[in-house]
Formats: sequence, C-alpha cells, structure tokens
Amino acid sequence: MEHRPPVPDEGLNVRYFDGRSNRAQAVRARLTDGWLHIDAAEAPRQIEARRVQWPERTRRGPRIALLPDGGSIQSTDAAAWDAWVRAGGQSESPVVRLQQSWRGVVLSLCLLVALCASGYVWGLPWAARVIADRFPDAAERQIGEAVLAQVGDLMQPSQLAEAQQQAIERAWQQVQRAHTAAQAARGVSVRPARLLIRHSEDIGPNALALPGGILLLTDDMARLLQHDTEVIAGVLAHELGHVQHRHGVRMLVQIGVLGFAASALWGDYSGVLATVPLWLGQAHYSREAEREADAYAATVLRDGGLSPALMIRLFERFALFKRCGDELLQPEPAETEVVCAEPATSEQPQQGRLWGLGFASHPADADRISFFRDAAR
Amino acid sequence: MPFPNNHAPSAGAATVRHLPITFTGSGSEYFRIWIVNLLLLFVTLGLYWPWAKVRRLRYFWANTLVDGDPLGFHGEARQMFKGWVLVGVLFVLYNWASSFSAIAGLVAFVALAALWPALWRSSLAFRLGNTSWRGLRFRFVGSLRDAYLTQLPSFLAALPLVLLSFALPEDPDATPPAWWAGAFGGALLLFLLTLPWLFWRMKAYQHRHYSYAGLQTDFRAGLGAFYLIALKPLLVLLALVGLSMLYVGLRFAGGIAWDGVLWVLFRVLPMLFAGAGLLMFFVIGPWLTARLQNLVWTKTGNAQMRFISQLGFRRLLLLGFKNGLLIALTLGLYWPFAKVAVARLRLEAVHIRSVIDMEALAAAEHEQPGEAAGEAAGDLFGLDMGL
Repeated sequence: MEHRPPVPDEGLNVRYFDGRSNRAQAVRARLTDGWLHIDAAEAPRQIEARRVQWPERTRRGPRIALLPDGGSIQSTDAAAWDAWVRAGGQSESPVVRLQQSWRGVVLSLCLLVALCASGYVWGLPWAARVIADRFPDAAERQIGEAVLAQVGDLMQPSQLAEAQQQAIERAWQQVQRAHTAAQAARGVSVRPARLLIRHSEDIGPNALALPGGILLLTDDMARLLQHDTEVIAGVLAHELGHVQHRHGVRMLVQIGVLGFAASALWGDYSGVLATVPLWLGQAHYSREAEREADAYAATVLRDGGLSPALMIRLFERFALFKRCGDELLQPEPAETEVVCAEPATSEQPQQGRLWGLGFASHPADADRISFFRDAAR
Repeated sequence: MPFPNNHAPSAGAATVRHLPITFTGSGSEYFRIWIVNLLLLFVTLGLYWPWAKVRRLRYFWANTLVDGDPLGFHGEARQMFKGWVLVGVLFVLYNWASSFSAIAGLVAFVALAALWPALWRSSLAFRLGNTSWRGLRFRFVGSLRDAYLTQLPSFLAALPLVLLSFALPEDPDATPPAWWAGAFGGALLLFLLTLPWLFWRMKAYQHRHYSYAGLQTDFRAGLGAFYLIALKPLLVLLALVGLSMLYVGLRFAGGIAWDGVLWVLFRVLPMLFAGAGLLMFFVIGPWLTARLQNLVWTKTGNAQMRFISQLGFRRLLLLGFKNGLLIALTLGLYWPFAKVAVARLRLEAVHIRSVIDMEALAAAEHEQPGEAAGEAAGDLFGLDMGL
C-alpha cells in the first residue's frame, strides 16, 4: 500500500480508526504546518492538529490520539511516535516534562513536603489569624454562648462565700482596668471579657476562656490557690490572653482546615489514619496558644502593678495538687500547709514529663516557670 | 461458569473468540503522575482536581488494552471543572442546611435525594460516553425515568431511618420516647434486609444499559445470587459476635463483678471493634469485591458477546495485605503502585467471549456524552462502575 520509503519526516505508520466502523486501517500519518494528514486509502483526511487530543508522553504503554469526530490513530511504538510528534512541532506541556523526569518528580516531592511543612508551621496559623481577626464579634459571642450551654451541665453556681467571690472579682477588675488603660496608652484596644465563677465536680481546678470573651473560673481553682486574689488575677490574665488572641476561633479554623487536608490526602485509604495528624496538630497548636497567652498574662500583670513571678505560685500549687489531690481543695483555706503522705519523688511527675513532650496541650511546667521568672526581671 | 480455553467450534455454531483484557500501566509511571498531580493540587488549593483526574483517567484508560487495543478517554477537564463546582456547591448547601435546623436539613435531604438519580445517570453517561475503543464510543442508554424508578426504593428504604433521626429531641440529654428505639431498630433491620435487593436493582440498571456500536448489554444475575453473597459476611460477623458473647458468658458465669464489666467495656470491646474493622477492611472487603465483580460482569452481555470475570479472592487478599504493609512502611508513597497493581489484577481477570467479529462493527448514531456534573457526583460519593 505504501510505496514511499520510511523516512522519519515523511510520517509514521499508525493504526487508524475512522470513527464509523471499528475496523483498523494501516495508514501513514503526517504532521505538517499544524495539520494532521491521514493518508487513508478510501478517504484521506486533514485535521487541524490543535483539535486533536494528543496523548501525553509516558515511558511505556501505547499511544492513542483522539480525533475530534470520534476516530483515533494509535501505535504501540511509543519511541517512534514521540519522535514523530516532536518533529511535527507539537509542544509538550511543562506538567508532562515534570512527570517524565525522575529529577523533576523528586523535586516535586521535596517541594510538596516543604510546602506541607511550611503551610503547617506558618501558613495555617497565619490564615487562622487572618480569619479570626475578621470574624464577626456577634458570631463569636454566639459560639461562646453555645459552648457555655454545652459545658453548662458540668457547671453549677459557685459555692464560694459571697465575700470570696467579690474579692476575686474586685482584684481582677482592678488589674483589668489598669491593663485596659495601659493598652489604650499604647494605642491598643482590649476586647471586653466577663468573669463567671462556677462550681464543677468534673473539671477540677481549672480556668477556661470561651470564644466571645467569657472567662470561666472554677471554685476548685480558687480553693487550690487559697483565695490568693493576685495569683487568681494572673490565671485570669492568661485566659484574657486567649480572648485577645481569639484562640477559640483560630483553633476552630485550624482544626477545620487540617481535618479537610488530612481527609483529602489519606481519607480514601483509611478514615482512622486521617484523624491522626488532626489530633497531633491540635495538641501542637494549643501549646503555641498557651505560650502566647502566658506572654500576654505577663504584660497584664505588669500593667496591674504585679510581678509576673507570682505565677510561679500557681505551678507550685499545681505540683502539690498532683501529689496530694483533693485534700488541697478544702472549702476554707488551711491554716498550715498540707503535708502529703506520699513522697515527693514518685513516678508520677516523670510520666507527666514524658507525655508533655509529645502530646500534652500545655508546655511543661518547668518551661513556663522559667518564662515567668524571666518576665519578672 | 469458566469457559474452556481449548474450545472446538461445534458444527454450525459461529466461531467463539476470546478477547483478553490486559493492563500495561506501571507503578513507577503512575507514581510520577501522582506526585506531580499532588503538588499542583496543593499549589492551586484543590482547583486542579479535574485536571488531575483527567490525567489519571487517561493514563489508566490508555493502558487498558482490550484485545490489544487501548481505551481512549475523551473527557475535558474544563467541563469536569463545572461539574465539580456544582457538586461542591450542593454539598456545602446540604451541610449548611443541616446545621441550620432539623427541618431545613430534612428539606435538603429530600432535595438532594430528588436530584441524586439524575446525577447518577449523568455520571454513568459521562463515563461511558467519553470512553472509546477502536474509534467507537461507548454509550450509556439508561433513561432518566428508569434511573428514578431504580433509586426510588432505596430512597423509601432510607427514609424511615432519616425521619426517625430527625424525630430525636434536640437536647442530647433528653431521653427519646420509649417507642423510638424499637422503631429505629425495625427501620434499620428493614434497610439492611433490603440492601442486597437495592444493590441488585442499581447494578441491573447500570449493566442493562451499556452499549457499544449498537450492541446493548443485558444483565442476567438473579436477585438470589446477591442475597447468597451477602449471607457469608453476615454469618462471619454473627459468628464473631456469638463467640465473643460466649467468651464473656463463660468468663463471668460465676456472677458479674463490676470491675469485670469495666474490663470488658474498656479492654475487650475496643479490641473486638478493631478486629472486626480489620477483618472487614482486609478480608471481607476483598472477598465482596471479588465475588461481586465475578457475578456482575460474568452475567453481563448479550447474544453476541459477554464478559467473563474470574477474579480470585486469594490473590486479591494477598495483594491487599502486601499493599497495606508497603503503604504503611513507605508512609503512603507506595499508594500509586498499589493502585496500579489492584487495577491490573482486577482488569486482567476479565475477558470477553464473542461469537461475532468484534472488528467489523459500525457506529450507532451519535449522542452527546453526559454532563460532567454527574461525573463529579459519582466521584465525590464514591460511586463507580466497579471496574
């Protein structure tokens, strides 16, 4: 059928399907000046090359080019096809060039890892901060109320004496006012926050900052700190830091984005696997947030005329609480320090330290103590 | 039924031909495509998805050789992008509505259910209509009406469950009314019992409407075969539950101590769940895949040609173990190799037996391939043709 000698420039022998019957025809295809010529014996055709769906170059496998009217030309000689197409002036997309070189692929992999890592370390916190800063206050307050309603079951009205509650409230207001004035002098506004004191059987000595500026303090926390209003103000200053940095909304955004990314990457293989980066990431981000809140607390305390070093007392009491437990939480402040029956060097703190490295949501106590000690200088 | 390879044409019968399906994809090739796709997906914040998908499908199609000739995928990424956006919007609206209020959620559920058969049909039409072999396109010829009729029982079977879940009081602490648990259990049982039937209806609709060059397939698998396949995994799971109950019964035969119950709750139950999950993922999943592929495709065909699938469970099982292990060891980098290996095993288990010359077929009249929105919907909800 073909009489011309097989010169590369003269075209390529391919199998041609005309799109009307599925019988293959052996034809010669030529590619010149942006036109594909198919020298079929019965009906030769010319097709604009840009309307043909050309196959992407791969190392192995057949080549099949799809013609606009449904027909196709194909060949199993990949090398000859690629040479023919290149000689015909068909350019190759950068994506294919990247896919076809191992160097490009390794580079892509490195880039992917670097992008993921930097997105995780910088991009995500940055995006969360930007979104949180533009988040409507009303919506944030709504979230806060919803969370309060949810944790409401764990909370009862405070059982502290009226005088004790007022003392805490008074001391905190004083510090907060001084801080607001100092911030105003620096040209920074302080987001409003209100204090709620609650009794809780379940969450022990604790303080929480809810989105929208609700500071929750448990009775047990006041008892643990022996109603020392200055240290309690320090604890509340830390929570006020969470409010100022909008950590609540930022956490929500970060967990949402991380969850989406994790499920997009691994979700189709295993749902369980997809949640692992999520809770690892969550622990990491809340450690960052705690450091920010600590730094804020130090500023608030200095503005209120108090030394950041008084926070050390909080950690001492916590350390004692770990050893002695509920004994420390007597309704009235003990006249003398409680002496614990258990020895101070138990296994417990070491275990806590181990967990603190990887998964705990707060930085290790020792780090925080040294931070506040330095801040007091 | 396995067909002997050394067949001799009986007097008067047409020559029987066997058309093998081979898969020439390679793991390392797909790995390179996959990595670059991932990078571009990341850089474009996911907008590249349709382009990535077209690259993947073209690669898999072009390396699937039916009787030595590759399949062509004609789908356009730009068209698929529109479908992808439409489905994304639907999905967001649905989630938003359900978080708004129970009634809005119910309305959204009904609206999505009303739209779903059309998307499903459209996705099948898009896949088939954009696939060609030897220069001729496949077609999906199921009607929209039949798609709705096929899906209607599924909707009706799921509706009681959905209605009951909306009937739950909003407050999580309020105890549901006494009749609720019984009604929910009944609805769940009804749904589970009808599940093989619903699945059979869907497969029958799909496999009765594939068409190539005017040759439309028929589907001859009976409903009984689907229930038989469902029976074995059910028996295995029941046996597992029975054995664990027997074990608990024997261990606490002398009276139940409180800490014993706690031990069961916190030690035995999670292990049981994890074990059942692993069994499901690594054993029952591949078993179902193999049995269903063999049943569904071997019963697909017509007087001129039919498919024959002989996928071995043991090979799929071993491949699943190997893939799981290597994916874990390589932190996921083995994923494309695994995908290629599974595609090879599943595709090469199938061949076509025909009594006509499969190289002398003429095109039926042309029809527009389906909307890309359907294709994207099928992808998002994990629906596919099973091969």
